[in-house]
Amino acid sequence: MLLNQFLLLAAVLFAIGVYGVLTRKNGVLVLMSIELILNSVNINLVAFGTFNADVSGQVFALFIIAVAAAEVGVGLAIVLLIYRNRRSIDVSEADMLKG
Amino acid sequence: MYSDFLRDYLIVVFFGILAFAVVGAFIGLASLVRPDRPSEAKNTAYESGVDPVDGGWSQSQIRYYIFALLFVMFDVEAVFIFPWATRLEEYGMFGLVEMTIFIFILALGLGYAWRKGVLRWV
Amino acid sequence: MLIAQEFVRPIIDWHGVAPELTLLAIGAMVTLVDIIWNEKAQRIIPTLTGLGFLAALLPVLTLWSDRDELPRVMWDGAYVVDEYSLVLKGLFLVSAYVVVLLATNYMHDGDYYEGEFYQLVSASVVGMLVMTSARDLISIFVAIELISIPAYLMAAWRKRDLKSNEAGLKYMLMGVFASALMLYGMSLLYGFAGDTRLAAIAPALRSSESIPLITLAVVFVVVGFGFKVSAVPFHTWAPDTYEGAPTPLTAFLAVASKAAGFVALMSVVIVAFPEQSGVAEPLLWVLAAVTMTVGNLIAMRQTNIVRMLAYSGIAQAGYMIAPLAVFGDVPSSAARAIVIYLVIYAAMNLGAFAVVITAARKTRSGEISSYGGLFQYAPGLAVLMTLFLFSLAGIPPFGGWYAKYQVFLVLVEPATTAGYVLAAIGAVNAVLAAFYYLSIMKQMWFMPEPNGDHTRVQITPSLQAALAITAIVTLVTGVLPGVIPDVGDLVVALP
Repeated sequence: MLLNQFLLLAAVLFAIGVYGVLTRKNGVLVLMSIELILNSVNINLVAFGTFNADVSGQVFALFIIAVAAAEVGVGLAIVLLIYRNRRSIDVSEADMLKG
Repeated sequence: MYSDFLRDYLIVVFFGILAFAVVGAFIGLASLVRPDRPSEAKNTAYESGVDPVDGGWSQSQIRYYIFALLFVMFDVEAVFIFPWATRLEEYGMFGLVEMTIFIFILALGLGYAWRKGVLRWV
Repeated sequence: MLIAQEFVRPIIDWHGVAPELTLLAIGAMVTLVDIIWNEKAQRIIPTLTGLGFLAALLPVLTLWSDRDELPRVMWDGAYVVDEYSLVLKGLFLVSAYVVVLLATNYMHDGDYYEGEFYQLVSASVVGMLVMTSARDLISIFVAIELISIPAYLMAAWRKRDLKSNEAGLKYMLMGVFASALMLYGMSLLYGFAGDTRLAAIAPALRSSESIPLITLAVVFVVVGFGFKVSAVPFHTWAPDTYEGAPTPLTAFLAVASKAAGFVALMSVVIVAFPEQSGVAEPLLWVLAAVTMTVGNLIAMRQTNIVRMLAYSGIAQAGYMIAPLAVFGDVPSSAARAIVIYLVIYAAMNLGAFAVVITAARKTRSGEISSYGGLFQYAPGLAVLMTLFLFSLAGIPPFGGWYAKYQVFLVLVEPATTAGYVLAAIGAVNAVLAAFYYLSIMKQMWFMPEPNGDHTRVQITPSLQAALAITAIVTLVTGVLPGVIPDVGDLVVALP
């Protein structure tokens, strides 16, 4: 059973996703990077599930797909709200509140 | 085990190198023999002979986005219906009731969107 | 390969899941009412939602009176109703009811969408109820998202206000990123155990040889929950979101949402990681120490009361993480101390927010300086705020004192150096925190009203009810701490 390839692919996707979240300034691109991380998780889960001959990994992946769609729906709605009020979706410009 | 694993990837690497080499060689050969006279007109987008207006980028109407969002939601929720549908008979009445409740809750969302006038084309 | 198994109809203990089902049905009903009567229904939706929370409390009480039947284990151990989960279900339902009371006038007076707010709150609370019983990675994940996604929307509720938009954006991006990290950790855990149930993961972590990847999984999961409970250094979203969001929602986030994060952290750490306590304990120790210290130090410099409460909430989160830093030796008393802390923290913090919301009806400001002269024109409000602030500072005989005392007891129980040092850090921090709580009291009692305006504050019936509930709980838990029910052990059940 080839498990390593899938895990490596997932690890690479995860790393690219984290890199994107940390460096991108555009709200939509940050969301896309998070999507990459979630997909790397799905690859992990399905690979492990098949490796262990256990179906719960695939079930978990299904739930992640559905929840990710909800997250992106809400995320895009908020990004669009900001675009309407501000005409920009640059995350680094959202700085009225100083942590 | 690891050497097998790496050898598999070596084939991929060779294949990649070969692909780049072949394409590069063809384009390189072609550039040696073809005439090269760039001009402004040659770089414009081809639109069946009519002169193009404005740039290639255009923004979509913002009113599409609500439909897109709603579509994504309801489309993805179908992911739970497919596994149920493949073993419909085995789940029997129990599965049917469960799925009815699930679809009822989804329908509430759709009803809400309809009632609040989101589905109307403005 | 995967073999299609025979379908066995799961046996569902309807009494056990009654609180969740009741709330779900009432949430669906509120949506239906909104669909059918639309604008006309906006006035009754808050009442309906509040009653819904109380109705869902009934099955919790009947389950509690039927304690001999506990624990009720469902779905092969993935869903457990035990004393621990019942106490927390009660906590979430009562806090949500208080939040509805706080929101009623705020939402109606402002130019906001009303009905949707309450529907989203009840969706979020359904997630919290599920979270208390979830003993499975999948249900924990679904519950945490059910809690968070409505909260992202509610944080951006003031649509035209750029601050509120920004609050929603920051909360959403950080929250989604945190759950992505947590999921990566969970996928590795699942890979090791071949099972998503927490009770099955624990033994797998003991027998496994490949330590580094397990460590990675534990760290990812703890960091992911660290975002949810706003532990330093993952706290940066909290003050901004709290300030920009509508204040009743801030109370909801600071109390209920944070408590739900703790429930998840507790269930996963105590049930699934006992064999990896060597990895998890130092991590949680550092998180606890840094969180309480940094939270207090920044809270001292705040001039806006909501931001100050946000940072004080971060510091309080540090105290709640602290018992987990020694959970390997004393898992049940750690869980008990955290649950007690959560109950008391919910009462006193919701109370403080209730005073802030009431006072803002007159002052229209969140600055601490605007609290000058509160005692002259609203003595009752000033006394209540003093009670909540004393409790937050941990001064006896109010609830906060007992909560901190329990945490210290747990820290010294195993008699390890790490426990003693953390207890000492906690004690120093309690002194630090007293300073900024006292500075608000100084404003209220001794400073003159900045504008010389001495009209009385109008306290609406729903705000009166919220203030009464929180004040009574804060007082009673401090004077008679025995009233907080004993949560017992977390049930680790596999069929």
